[in-house]
Amino acid sequence: MVYDYIIVGAGMGGISAGINLAINNKKVLILEKNSLPGGLVSTFKKGRFEFDTSGYDIYNYGDKEHIGELQKILSKYKVNIETDIVPFNYIVKEEKKDTFKVKGSFEEFIVDLEDIKFGSAMQATTLAKITKEIRWAMDIILKGDIPKEEDYPRFYKYLDYMASDALLEIGFSKEVIKRLSIWWLDVGSPLNKLSFIDFCLFLEKLIFKKNAIFDTKNLDFCLKLIKRYQKVGGKINYNSWVVNIDMEDNIKLVETKDGHSYKAKHVICDVSRRLVFKDLIKKEIKDVNRLENARTIGANGVVIYLGLNKNYQDLGLEYYKYYKFTTLDSTNNIKYMNSLGHNTWIAYVPNVVNNNASPKNTTILVLKQIYFSDVFNNVAINEYEKLKNDIADSLISDFEETYKIDIREYIEEIAISTPFTVERLTSNVNGTMYGYMLKGYDNAIHRILSYEDEEIEGLSFVGASSIFGSGIDNAIISGFYITNKLLGRK
Amino acid sequence: MDKIEHLREERKNIAKTYSSKKIKDTYIDEVTKEYKDVLYVKVKKIIEETNDTKSFILVPDIEKGIKELPPFKAGQYISVRMFIDKSYTTRAYSLSSSPGDTSKYRITIKRVPNGLVSNIMLDEVKVGDGLTISRPTGDFGYNSIRDEENVLGIAGGSGITPFMSLALAINEGIENCNLTVFYSVKTEEDIIFKSEIEHLNKHSKKVKFIITLTREEKKGYLNGHIDKKMLEPYIKEFNTVLMCGPKTLYKSMNEVLGEFNIPRKSVHYENFFVDFEPNDNKTYELKVIMKNDFKVIKCKSNETLLVAMENAGIKAPSLCRVGICGYCRSVILEGKIKMVGGNMEKALLENDYIHPCISYPESNIVLRLDI
Repeated sequence: MVYDYIIVGAGMGGISAGINLAINNKKVLILEKNSLPGGLVSTFKKGRFEFDTSGYDIYNYGDKEHIGELQKILSKYKVNIETDIVPFNYIVKEEKKDTFKVKGSFEEFIVDLEDIKFGSAMQATTLAKITKEIRWAMDIILKGDIPKEEDYPRFYKYLDYMASDALLEIGFSKEVIKRLSIWWLDVGSPLNKLSFIDFCLFLEKLIFKKNAIFDTKNLDFCLKLIKRYQKVGGKINYNSWVVNIDMEDNIKLVETKDGHSYKAKHVICDVSRRLVFKDLIKKEIKDVNRLENARTIGANGVVIYLGLNKNYQDLGLEYYKYYKFTTLDSTNNIKYMNSLGHNTWIAYVPNVVNNNASPKNTTILVLKQIYFSDVFNNVAINEYEKLKNDIADSLISDFEETYKIDIREYIEEIAISTPFTVERLTSNVNGTMYGYMLKGYDNAIHRILSYEDEEIEGLSFVGASSIFGSGIDNAIISGFYITNKLLGRK
Repeated sequence: MDKIEHLREERKNIAKTYSSKKIKDTYIDEVTKEYKDVLYVKVKKIIEETNDTKSFILVPDIEKGIKELPPFKAGQYISVRMFIDKSYTTRAYSLSSSPGDTSKYRITIKRVPNGLVSNIMLDEVKVGDGLTISRPTGDFGYNSIRDEENVLGIAGGSGITPFMSLALAINEGIENCNLTVFYSVKTEEDIIFKSEIEHLNKHSKKVKFIITLTREEKKGYLNGHIDKKMLEPYIKEFNTVLMCGPKTLYKSMNEVLGEFNIPRKSVHYENFFVDFEPNDNKTYELKVIMKNDFKVIKCKSNETLLVAMENAGIKAPSLCRVGICGYCRSVILEGKIKMVGGNMEKALLENDYIHPCISYPESNIVLRLDI
């Protein structure tokens, strides 16, 4: 049997692609190496706690009034989920400075900017307008057309700008730009590397489409997606680790580790693009290696999952997110993130938003630290356990000292994920959580504009390492967008 | 429009300046590739611990491509895989050696009456034989971030094995806590690691084993089941309790620990057994749908779906065999089962996932197993 499409990997992008193809009556097979779907979006249980590996900030979902692209696609797929809106409710600490709060709404956030520098609110209004214009221009591009320069002058004006330069040009002060960049870790690129177009597309989601989190666990969402996929005729095989993709003929041959092989007219990969060219495809494809070598693999990191045996109110945890930066200047901060045990991290307390996050009178706290260089390179395998513990130990202490909150004595369960964990579960090259870094001419805008130039016969990519970047929304949108292209519709 | 063209050209031009050489693995890629789920080992030495218990020293089987054994944490277990009369099965055994020495693993096996694997291990396996095992896994053990410095170990019978590993780790400075193990056995003859325990008791400042005999009175040992009075002198302001042994031990210990007001967060168990006695004695039909094949087999009401599949020669995956690790998870398409114990994500339960290792049939079953 020859499938129309074989999809390698049941991550968000892969399942999304699968649903869209199956809805359109294509014969589709997903091959997933694990025994569950979801990839980086998953849930694991430890004791009485269920920890979600992702989904602490789902962009572009929104609510009933602010319908995000992700919500639109899921309703097209007829996948119904319950979500909670993530409020503007963070606290931020920059080393050697006072903490500040981001509370209320984006509008209130802007009012606070005015306090830092007179005139900032005005500039923020300008920025919001530019952001909308860029979003509209982008929508035209995604439909396969070219926006007219006279209609979208500011899109063209800023097309070649990095975010930090554009923000200065708009007139923001350096202090205000720092405030505007607190979300940079969500994208994984500092403002001097991030294209202003990408920055605005991100900001547009943040301002106009509310961020959400799932009301249930990640795994519930993944299984809903898969159920829908199967209902519309899609097939998935688990425990199917793809080790070879033979691209020689019109009919592609996909082989798995357990000795099975499957045929398809087209292969869609929801795994690291780099992994595919490095390990899965033997045939040399023109220009592919040059492009790979020109790109930068995204950051990896350590995530510490804590199950605490007290409710968050009694622990004194009142914010959804706790940030700590060495400096709020992202261009500089990234330099500090090249070694183990640096002082930049994010902590999430899902219970603040979602009552169902953990059992009664308990709290989940997730601490995440990201690395921008190969800090794990010198780790001998027998030092690994100790190192993992030491990192967790110092992060927990730093959290307690920074925010004067005791958590250590309430730790009932602890789990630590490292780049090795991520790579083992997802095959992501270098254990990255971001796909490729958005950087220079490899921002999402460039990937989208060059999509046709870089197309390969019989092979496509979806997911975080494809065109839109990382995040649940980007992965699902990529699956939808790219399969629509394959199906020949706008 | 020209600007868009320009961006596309720039991207192309930049790529042209880069090498066309194939991308190399990063260090993390290399290490991950070396990660093996299945290990081949050889039995280097067999030690008779008691009348019904032997220790096996396992070393890497170099001829089968295993150069070294992965590191482990004290308290973890390996799963031994065996083919017995065309059927495939596994058994989980805690490592009893020190995590400081990964040139070898030690497992210690007590004879189980009518036990399929333990009897083969004790009666047939010789020095020089090859074994197939999983990599070390499991969460049981001491965790310096989660746990208190004063650790009470409660061990029954062969449940002493993970504590021996932990005691050795503490003695070698790999773990840092004060460990007191209450070790309950029937008679003096049943004491596993007797000389090692005596040695550690004499030489280690941080490790202490206290042995109690439940079926005889003898000098030098406590007598009777572990109770409040025995534990009292060793309870500090903050304690962590680790337990490994039969379920009856956990039950009686929970009552005892309740009297000391030790919070739930500070008590951890290693699950060893699945206790279940079905009411009826029926045989059901079990249809196993695999990736490219299916098989219809028999499954008795007193055996788990996993055991039924193994007996029928289906190579169903398994590791812990007590419903915790999730390695065997499958989807039940038709029929009714009873799952005994285990720990499963809510979303999986709601979506008809089961752990065959703890599932007993209550009707004919159709199971999806992606192998």
